[in-house]
Amino acid sequence: MTDAAPAIFLALEQSGFGAAIRQSRWLYPAANIGHIVSLVFFAGAVAVMDIRLLGGLAATKPRQVLARARSVAIAALAGMAVTGFMLFSAEASHLVLNPVFQLKAALVAAGLLNVAIYEFWARRAVEDLAPGAAMPPRARLAGLLSLGIWVAVAACGRSIAYF
Amino acid sequence: MRAIILTPLFVLLTGAAAAHHGWGSYDATRPVTVAGPIITSKFENPHATITVRTSEKVWTVTLAPTSRMSGRGATAQVIAVGQSVSAYGYPSTVEKDEMRAERITVDGKTYEMR
Repeated sequence: MTDAAPAIFLALEQSGFGAAIRQSRWLYPAANIGHIVSLVFFAGAVAVMDIRLLGGLAATKPRQVLARARSVAIAALAGMAVTGFMLFSAEASHLVLNPVFQLKAALVAAGLLNVAIYEFWARRAVEDLAPGAAMPPRARLAGLLSLGIWVAVAACGRSIAYF
Repeated sequence: MRAIILTPLFVLLTGAAAAHHGWGSYDATRPVTVAGPIITSKFENPHATITVRTSEKVWTVTLAPTSRMSGRGATAQVIAVGQSVSAYGYPSTVEKDEMRAERITVDGKTYEMR
């Protein structure tokens, strides 16, 4: 624990919830495994969506591919949020000051912003397209940004422990 | 475009490998042995930690995850407050008076932490 962290993160770490995760023999490793397994499904679903947006899997209907992958991505994201919150609570005061964690948090925000922008400005145009139709440039850009941002998020996640 | 994304990523990944988990930020060229009574003990994840009073100062000694500790017999009782411990390990290059134990000895019994 470090007193240099903002009070809310100290409180989270010192809460019964934070303590339970640290003191249980299996909760922390279970959350760790759950986080990685969720990441695997999230990355797979996102890759399928991004590839479609970038013009791959061109023979498929965009709406079908994207809708199915989206359900998996949302469920996996929820899994990562829950397990990530558990891991974070155990060491909140240190993590919030960790520069790689801060970068990761900013990248997650950027990734979600990219999703929001896509949903508002590109989704409709994309989903009504027929198989084989060219993807609009803004959809390609969203796919490219998504791929880059989420891979960077994963790299940051794995790097937190090294800084 | 691909290079723009992959280059910083590569730098990030290789840079990370040169830095810490859990041993890179500990100076393996200056091993220390910290011996004395345990004054605080946390048998917690992700790593158990104890503080140990020596003649010069109080060291924070980072141990292993609790499942590994238990598996090797180094239970919470073994590292309880008041026990006399000898920890061999490496001083942190980041945190003052912190070291990471390679192995600890309590009551004549040695427990490997890696």
